[in-house]
Amino acid sequence: MSKTLLLISSKHEDWTFAQEVSMHAGLTLQTVNTAAEGIEILSGEGASAVMVDASTDEQYHQFENAIQDSIGLFSEKINANTTHFITSEELERVPYLIQSPLFGNYIIRNYGDIKDAGALYGRILYASLTEKAFGLKSFLKEDTKIQTVKFRLSTQKQDAVEAVKNFLIAAKFQTRMATIIATAVDEILMNAMYDAPVDDLGKPTLSTTPRSAKIELQGKHQTEMAIGFDGKFVGISATDLFGSLDKAKLLSFVAKIYTDEEYKVKMATAGAGLGLATVFRSGGSLFFVSESRVKTEVTVFFMKTANFRDFKDQFRFLTTQFYF
Amino acid sequence: MLNVIKEQKGNVLVVRFTGSIEENVNFEALIGTPPEELHVYCKEVPRINSIGVKAWIRFFQSLKAKGIKLKFFECSTAIVQQINLISNFTPPRSVESIYVPFTCMQCKSELVGLFKCEDLKQMKLKIPDLKCAKCGGRSAFDDIPEEFFAFLFRN
Repeated sequence: MSKTLLLISSKHEDWTFAQEVSMHAGLTLQTVNTAAEGIEILSGEGASAVMVDASTDEQYHQFENAIQDSIGLFSEKINANTTHFITSEELERVPYLIQSPLFGNYIIRNYGDIKDAGALYGRILYASLTEKAFGLKSFLKEDTKIQTVKFRLSTQKQDAVEAVKNFLIAAKFQTRMATIIATAVDEILMNAMYDAPVDDLGKPTLSTTPRSAKIELQGKHQTEMAIGFDGKFVGISATDLFGSLDKAKLLSFVAKIYTDEEYKVKMATAGAGLGLATVFRSGGSLFFVSESRVKTEVTVFFMKTANFRDFKDQFRFLTTQFYF
Repeated sequence: MLNVIKEQKGNVLVVRFTGSIEENVNFEALIGTPPEELHVYCKEVPRINSIGVKAWIRFFQSLKAKGIKLKFFECSTAIVQQINLISNFTPPRSVESIYVPFTCMQCKSELVGLFKCEDLKQMKLKIPDLKCAKCGGRSAFDDIPEEFFAFLFRN
């Protein structure tokens, strides 16, 4: 397969973004305007990764139908890990993407500083093309110092969250930004400690355990946090050793919003089902890497901006890499 | 961790929240059952996580079901974020005042200004600048108006 990033889009801003991405991912950019042209390349020499303008249901289905008619949805030439959909819409407004068997990566076309956005996504793409995309270090600028914390008890989470907040304030993030990022870390750590644990049959073992319960994080329950700030982006990851992440469930949580409909309190589960959606709507990007029954690493990324308005309106993506 | 200061004023129980709202919160134990009306002051709530949100909704919905009138004052930006994200985080028209975020254009300090919701509605998203308490420079509203004030125009 050629070391190519194939962009299927007629939008100039997508082309500029993809150019930056390909440069940082070490790939050659090849651009076409239509799905039919793109599939011709995929069925021929192929591509390492594909970025597709999926702004509308129609555009997406043109792409899906073209694949079905030529190489097939389950071809070795394309898969969810290497397909990156670009839209201008929030996740809840693109149900056709959430339901897509090819959904793996979703980019919101709000690039801001296209060089910064392209550089980060280029590193993400580069990592996603390695054998396994684990490890915060590869997502941030070279030589970024990464600090890791291994938890012994779930009750250490609050101290870690406060430490993250203080670290960010020291790095000159606005207090409000630091608080939002700290809350995002709170959510991904809670998921790693209480939602990831499953039994041999894949059944959650702590779904009804109160999130205030003290859990010993030994053996399979080990949870680790890593943090790095490269001067532009901060990345913070939470890792568990269960590898139990379910893509459909994950997307249903991230895409669920309660701005119009009411949130119904479910007492049967201890979790709230609100954390990831809040993180994604607060300016954060999410990167999920999961190797089935081995480990899951969830990383949040936030850009440091001069003001809060830009922070909230920053470039965002949701990337998933699943290994079975 | 959340702390609560309580004050009884006739048929109104006034509570002031201080601290983050997260998985350890127990509103029932902290507040109990108020009389006819509960006034909640949220100026000092810097952060609320998803489990805190769940506990909040459960508790205040149970009070509402008992016929207790709820009013929220001096809501911090963290609380305003949740009011905007979750339609039933607070009952309709129960938010009296909120803290609005500003950033000084000169020294980049963060500030908040207290506004009554009724006044904000009249302003129609045109928020006047504030004078920076640190350097005296001009401080401008620092968020996305259509998002930060969305709850004011909800039906």
